[in-house]
Amino acid sequence: MRSVPGTHSPHAVNAGQRLDAVAADLEYFRAKRLEPRVLHLVRRGVISLNDLIRAGRDTVGDRPARDTASDRTSHTAAADVEQRLRALEDRLDAFVAGIAAVAVAIRSADVVIEDIRRERGDYDPFLRIAKRTYSGSAEERMSQLERGLADSEELLDLFTRALLNTGEITARQLDQRRQAVRNQGYRNGARLVARAWVDPEFKRRLLETGREAARELDIPPGRLGKLGVAENTEHEHNIVVCTLCSCYPHDLLGDPPWWYRTDEYKRRIIEDPRAMLAEMFGLQVPANRSIAVRDSTSDVRWMVLPRRPEGSEAMTEDELAELVTPESLVGAAEPSVRRTWRDE
Amino acid sequence: MTSDVRPSAHRFSVGELVRVRDDQPGGSPRTPGYARGKVGTVVALHGQIPNPLDHRDRYPPLCTVRFELQELTGRPARDYVTADLHEDWLEPAHPAQLVPQP
Repeated sequence: MRSVPGTHSPHAVNAGQRLDAVAADLEYFRAKRLEPRVLHLVRRGVISLNDLIRAGRDTVGDRPARDTASDRTSHTAAADVEQRLRALEDRLDAFVAGIAAVAVAIRSADVVIEDIRRERGDYDPFLRIAKRTYSGSAEERMSQLERGLADSEELLDLFTRALLNTGEITARQLDQRRQAVRNQGYRNGARLVARAWVDPEFKRRLLETGREAARELDIPPGRLGKLGVAENTEHEHNIVVCTLCSCYPHDLLGDPPWWYRTDEYKRRIIEDPRAMLAEMFGLQVPANRSIAVRDSTSDVRWMVLPRRPEGSEAMTEDELAELVTPESLVGAAEPSVRRTWRDE
Repeated sequence: MTSDVRPSAHRFSVGELVRVRDDQPGGSPRTPGYARGKVGTVVALHGQIPNPLDHRDRYPPLCTVRFELQELTGRPARDYVTADLHEDWLEPAHPAQLVPQP
């Protein structure tokens, strides 16, 4: 399931906007995360193009048929559009998780991606992989996206198999990594937040000293720059971004939600944070509450201390920690006692 | 956030108006494009942050600078953006340099 509550509602965002979002995300992860990594390993001689071809030849028989677009083109009912959109979004999520699973497992993990080059200052647009454009009616774009995603899924599949065939990763490592990707490491953040809700003195230390306070909960504080903690209040709502790359206190809090890395998010959250929160996350910030966008760098990495939800007065610290989602740690959602701690 | 800072290391102080340089002064390349040439207010001082995992050089002291969204986009808004900027990117500014209120 896509990890943003609300985006699955057909009323929250119309089909055109959702198609745009899928297109932006697919092209981001294809052109910036998957294909540069394949090329990097080919350049380094870790795998060869022929390894990819061989992986494809080995698996012709057992790969499930993916291209279901052609036998669906006659259905135009709204329910069918919704179903196809959801299928696209869910496949995109699986695609992104699949990239993450092979990205970390490989020995040659020092892949220099564009974002790192950009922040290092030796970014060269000549090396950029061209992004595809999807145009035409919603129906046409839907079909193009289904084909485009199927192509990228196939490449990821071959890439993964080639890494397995060449012994670069083992099936066991891959399984472990897939498991780790599913169990995102945001629980440290959830524990920090829950303790801050029940212990005002701890909250003060967390806000003042940042990651030093994590030691009190036996959480390794990490050492990637400074941890900035922005407290949500009745008067101010905080949202975290890293407009230059994807800085996040991931040594302490694990990976941010996947959309945190997308260009679409980085651009729109500066242009119009209020509309962005409403449209992308279904979060209506009251008109009398300011929105503070916290732009992270490698030196100061921000997290949000969300507001304690109403109705949680009788809950224990452990129960409170279950209310905290990865989205609420960056300010894209507010913890609620009505929603379960994961939307699946 | 400011407990470990020796104020003497900073050229600027909390509350001061600063303008972000539009050229590249060297040092850290991490100054967002939207902030360049814009005027904001220093809201926190961080001192020099050693961060050997990300950069070998020691950059100048770091300030959190608050930019009103109106200054960045030209549209009226009550919202704002904060960015953490090294002092070599900043110069003193005057209220007259802000985008005027409507």
